[in-house]
Amino acid sequence: MLGQEGVVVSWTIVRVPPTGFSSVAPYPVVIVDLVGGGRITAQLVDWSNDDLVVGASVQVVLRRTSEPTDEGIIPYGIKVKPI
Amino acid sequence: MKAYITGVATTKFGELWATSPRTLAREAVTDALKDAGLVVNKVQALFVGNMLSGMLGGQEHLGAFFSEELDIRAPAFKIEGACASGGLALHNAINSVLSGQYDTVVALGVEKMTDHKPEDVATALMGAGSEEERAAGATFPGLYAMLARVHMLTFGTTEEELASVAVKNHYHASLNPNAQFHNLLTVEQVMRSSRIADPLKLFDCSPISDGAAAVIVSKVKSQKSVEILASTAATDSLGLAQRKNLTELSATKEAAKRAYTIAGITPTDVDAAEVHDCFTIAEILAVEDLGFFKKGKAAAAIVKGETRLGTTKHLVINPSGGLKGCGHPVGATGIKQVVEIVEQLRERAGDRQVKKAKIGLTHNVGGSGATAVIHILKK
Repeated sequence: MLGQEGVVVSWTIVRVPPTGFSSVAPYPVVIVDLVGGGRITAQLVDWSNDDLVVGASVQVVLRRTSEPTDEGIIPYGIKVKPI
Repeated sequence: MKAYITGVATTKFGELWATSPRTLAREAVTDALKDAGLVVNKVQALFVGNMLSGMLGGQEHLGAFFSEELDIRAPAFKIEGACASGGLALHNAINSVLSGQYDTVVALGVEKMTDHKPEDVATALMGAGSEEERAAGATFPGLYAMLARVHMLTFGTTEEELASVAVKNHYHASLNPNAQFHNLLTVEQVMRSSRIADPLKLFDCSPISDGAAAVIVSKVKSQKSVEILASTAATDSLGLAQRKNLTELSATKEAAKRAYTIAGITPTDVDAAEVHDCFTIAEILAVEDLGFFKKGKAAAAIVKGETRLGTTKHLVINPSGGLKGCGHPVGATGIKQVVEIVEQLRERAGDRQVKKAKIGLTHNVGGSGATAVIHILKK
């Protein structure tokens, strides 16, 4: 899925985060229709206010998803960034 | 075979710091049994609706837990379906009577949420979402916010129209002694409240609450019983991204369609409905998906007061105050909705009585629409 491009179909800014996300809050969460088909929910990174619009183009990237656990494991996963 | 609700009760909903889940459950069940004129040893099964006792309180095995606490020595079950746990518990309780297995059963919904930190509650509630949504850092306000944005772009729904749902439901709650909130809200106050997940603000969101509600289901009718015309449930994907259409909750439409068919009624026959307004956008989606309004037409009608107590139209939505005004102890909500409709049909709802209410409907949702449960009741 990495590198795939898509279009934002809805977005929000989470200002009251769940446990493990407070260091990056507030952050946008978006629903994206991928160009190759399929729909995902992901966090938007490297964003500015101009990127928060339905129809914006984004690309799937690998990033740290939340704060490290007590065991020191750093969770990685899919996010999207504006292109 | 038919099934009837012969007794109902709800505790006060709110921040009940000094009251344990045991006490909440005992109060609701004792009062419901009293309302039905029933002694506890006549209860043949107990169905408990609850979502968070394991994640927040470390207590599972709630069937046995509340069986012991309530001295109901009978088969006991815990039913979990996120915020639809109460509705699903009642659905299973009704089916157990309709099957002929039991004559008289109790459905109890109970939740204790305010003893825990908000971020821990938000994390626990996200157990109802998909793994992908959790990894994205989404919250339930965030998921419903994204549904709201699609609705706003598709139908021109405005933030002020969303706010009018909270204003109406706080007015109804102000007339309900058991509601969490008795203060009135204005559209301006909702618009000025702090942003939680854009475009949703604090007063677009139902609160974190404690509370319990109970109903007695019986195969035998009584003088003040209410007939259950239909009890249906439907299931959709856990996550929003797995759905094609983001302007509706299709589980609501599916469960409602079957419920209307079974009950032999149409949406225009409904006089009072308790719908799942966990967020203001959720009430707009609900009343459209239930067939009370065409898609995109509900918000303007709500602003005009067409679903408010005292309306000149015939349908009142959320006379209890809904989840927004009455409170949302998640596992208790689906049962509380039915308690409210039963009280309306018995004409015992006091200042918030819906005039000439003959048929009522409840709509309980789990997650962002993965579970929907509908009950239709008749005087």
